[in-house]
Amino acid sequence: MRDLKVKTREAGEGTSVVYVNGYLNSLLGEELEQVVHDALEVGRSNVVLNFEGTRLINSIGISFIIGIVERMAERNGTLAFCSLNRINQDLLRMTGVSRYVRAFDSEEEAIAFFAQTV
Amino acid sequence: MRLLWSQGAEASFRPGEFFGREEELRSLLRVCLEGKSGIGASVLIYGPPNVGKSSLLLKLKSELKSLPQSTAPPCPFPFYYSFSNILSHPLALSQHFLQEYLWQLLVFLGESPPAAFDLDALCDALAARGHVECRDYLSAHLRYSEKGDGLSALANAFSFPFATGGELLYPVFLFDDFQYTIKLQNIPEGAIFSILRPYIKSGHFPMIVSGSSPGHVTSSLKREGLYGSFQLLEVGGLSPDASVAAWGPLFERRKIRIPEHLAVRAAVRLGHIPVYQRMLAEEISFRNVQIEDEVGLENLFALSVTEGKLNRYWREFFENAIPDRVARARAVKFLKRVICDRFPIDTFEGAFSLMGTSPEEGSEILSALEFKGLLKSDFEHIEFVRDPVLADFLFWAFERGVLGKNTSQVAASIVQAKISHDLQEGSGGEQDASAEIAKEMMRRWDCRDVPALLFDFGKFHDKYGDKGLLEVVIGLEGDPRKVRLPKISSVSKGHRTIRGGSRFDFDLVAYGFHDGDFSEENLVIWAVDVNTEKKLVQVAVEHFENRCRLLSLDKGLKPGQLRKWILFDGAADAAVVGLADRYGIHLTHRTQMRLFLNLFGMQELEKGAEERRPPEARAGEQPLEFELVLPMKADTEVVAARVAEEVAAYASLDKDTVDRIKMAIIEACINAFEHSGAETGKVRLRYVLSPERIELFVQDEGKGFRTSAKGDESKQNRGWGLKLISELVDEVHIETGERGTTVRMVKYLRPASDEGSPTTNGEG
Repeated sequence: MRDLKVKTREAGEGTSVVYVNGYLNSLLGEELEQVVHDALEVGRSNVVLNFEGTRLINSIGISFIIGIVERMAERNGTLAFCSLNRINQDLLRMTGVSRYVRAFDSEEEAIAFFAQTV
Repeated sequence: MRLLWSQGAEASFRPGEFFGREEELRSLLRVCLEGKSGIGASVLIYGPPNVGKSSLLLKLKSELKSLPQSTAPPCPFPFYYSFSNILSHPLALSQHFLQEYLWQLLVFLGESPPAAFDLDALCDALAARGHVECRDYLSAHLRYSEKGDGLSALANAFSFPFATGGELLYPVFLFDDFQYTIKLQNIPEGAIFSILRPYIKSGHFPMIVSGSSPGHVTSSLKREGLYGSFQLLEVGGLSPDASVAAWGPLFERRKIRIPEHLAVRAAVRLGHIPVYQRMLAEEISFRNVQIEDEVGLENLFALSVTEGKLNRYWREFFENAIPDRVARARAVKFLKRVICDRFPIDTFEGAFSLMGTSPEEGSEILSALEFKGLLKSDFEHIEFVRDPVLADFLFWAFERGVLGKNTSQVAASIVQAKISHDLQEGSGGEQDASAEIAKEMMRRWDCRDVPALLFDFGKFHDKYGDKGLLEVVIGLEGDPRKVRLPKISSVSKGHRTIRGGSRFDFDLVAYGFHDGDFSEENLVIWAVDVNTEKKLVQVAVEHFENRCRLLSLDKGLKPGQLRKWILFDGAADAAVVGLADRYGIHLTHRTQMRLFLNLFGMQELEKGAEERRPPEARAGEQPLEFELVLPMKADTEVVAARVAEEVAAYASLDKDTVDRIKMAIIEACINAFEHSGAETGKVRLRYVLSPERIELFVQDEGKGFRTSAKGDESKQNRGWGLKLISELVDEVHIETGERGTTVRMVKYLRPASDEGSPTTNGEG
């Protein structure tokens, strides 16, 4: 759980997959925000956040996710989540975030979704 | 005991000044004459106070007396009797009743009216004419009086008329102010009706009962099984022609001249009610004014209703009706809202809510108003009189008593309102269109396919970011309705009744200011209700609207300054949607509450307690208790979560429940770290595990718990903590004391089979 790394992978035209590993709190949240910001800067308008490596998200983490949702919307980008565990799904639902962002069971599904919409 | 002859309505009644009501008179007359053939019915006359019910009875009496003598006996003997409020003791009432009956009968039979009210003398006079049975009744009356047996005395006195007359006459009872019979000392409500029951049922004794408290009287009738025997006759204002004709003798006697069109206007202004017409005529004569135009008329009226005769009339009325000053003020305020401001009230519950009282106090006020005829009620609905003069009086009482304006200010505003009132007429087409939109909007929300519309992220930051303002779209894709949210300065939620203070009872009230400008003009208040019923019903919408009107009256808000929002989960009829739309209430799906609260940095409201019943406790097991002290350092909450996981392992909880407990404790710790401002830098945790629940205590030693995000914190977590906790566990209790704040969270443990299968997932 101490591995505070956010990794990015490019998956086709304008799409980035961001892997969030660890407890999503303020530290990881800041890192994540920066990574997404960078992806947008280089013209990637589709971003998939892969939460396979995230066991817990706290409220501060949620607020960073909301910041990302807002940022994406400003830039007319599209955001998707994938591989959320049940409690994290619940948290995103409770905070209303899931109503603005599509969540997929797997990374493949998310990428396929973006491929269709492009 | 000697009772003085009470000079009541009868003495002041002038048959020549009675106008209109021809139809009512005709049917009443028919009822009275049918008594002769044993098919007579009884009639209950009801209507607001002083609308002319007594005059109608007295007119009927004079009509009956002046019937041509040519018809064969028995002929009707009209006996008018008013149950005045003076006689509340049954013995006094029975004696007075006997006296009255004997006296009126003697007069009817052609005797010159006896000088004194001596029962014995009256009885002798009657016996001399062959009516000897009255002696028996009188001696029975004396016997009961000596014993103090009020009920028997009443039964005796009220049976007497039925024994008199024989072949020559039959009594027609004209009972006035009948509502007072329910206020007799130690006599059950409706006793008079049960005494009279056999006679009413016989059809030989027509009975015209008049009163201003139809609710009480009809419920007595129903109890006695007499409801079907009575015809109901509602008396309102006169017909326009009759009320204009009524001015004739009133003006003539006082030598008043006013243009005819003003006489018509004045009659309308007074609701065509004769008693007001008389008072206004007296006012004109007393002030010796010339009425030449509309403004002059309205000025005089305003003067009368704010400090003259009309005012005195109603003031005394309220002083009599509700002697207690506080209750009276409350009643006046309440009636003002219902009659002047037209609050839609038709249930008792709504009335109590509007009065801001407990049901007990509220019932007392309502029953006093009912008794005096200001409202009609049956078991479910209440209906208020619509009396224009009363409305203006209430307006004056409210403005003066509550808002502290002086009389001339109020009079001026009454005049102004009436002069400009004639122009107003509403339009309906737009409402239909927007009701359609609202319906469509709700349909969409049920499908949950409009998330993109909820936020206009791209724009709001640029436009309002620095002012803390944003726009939310709550309309449809094709026709979105944008609602501008103000900069919120304070939010209160879960408002519930506070005795004595102002009370609006909303689930959420937010105060904010447009354009980031904290001035009165820019104040905007959001009132939000969350409807938890399956179906949104009309009453709920009306109830909400009433409270909103109350709020805006209380705060003196202009129309645009109050935004109304009802959130609900289930369905609503088109009529309800239409109603909400008419009131300008936003209706949206409950999920919108989340958005709203998030924007305001609030937590979502608690759900209904009924959803959260603990399972049966397994007796005999002691709770296990664990304690932990955490340093206030970043990420140490994870340790607390890990301990929670271990504790939960004892109870073999399912993964989902464990995760929820963990998240809840993490959030409680973060809140403690961030908000407590504690100097000791420690947070104490206690985990108490019992068979039916797990309780978590998170205690800091800080200065208090801040529940909403403020200033720089808003960027960080926007007040999510408590909201999440309340979603994650079944109960949250926060206690702040001198020694810090303790958050107690309870999660009830259900059997694992009740939960859905937990998702397995890779560990972080």
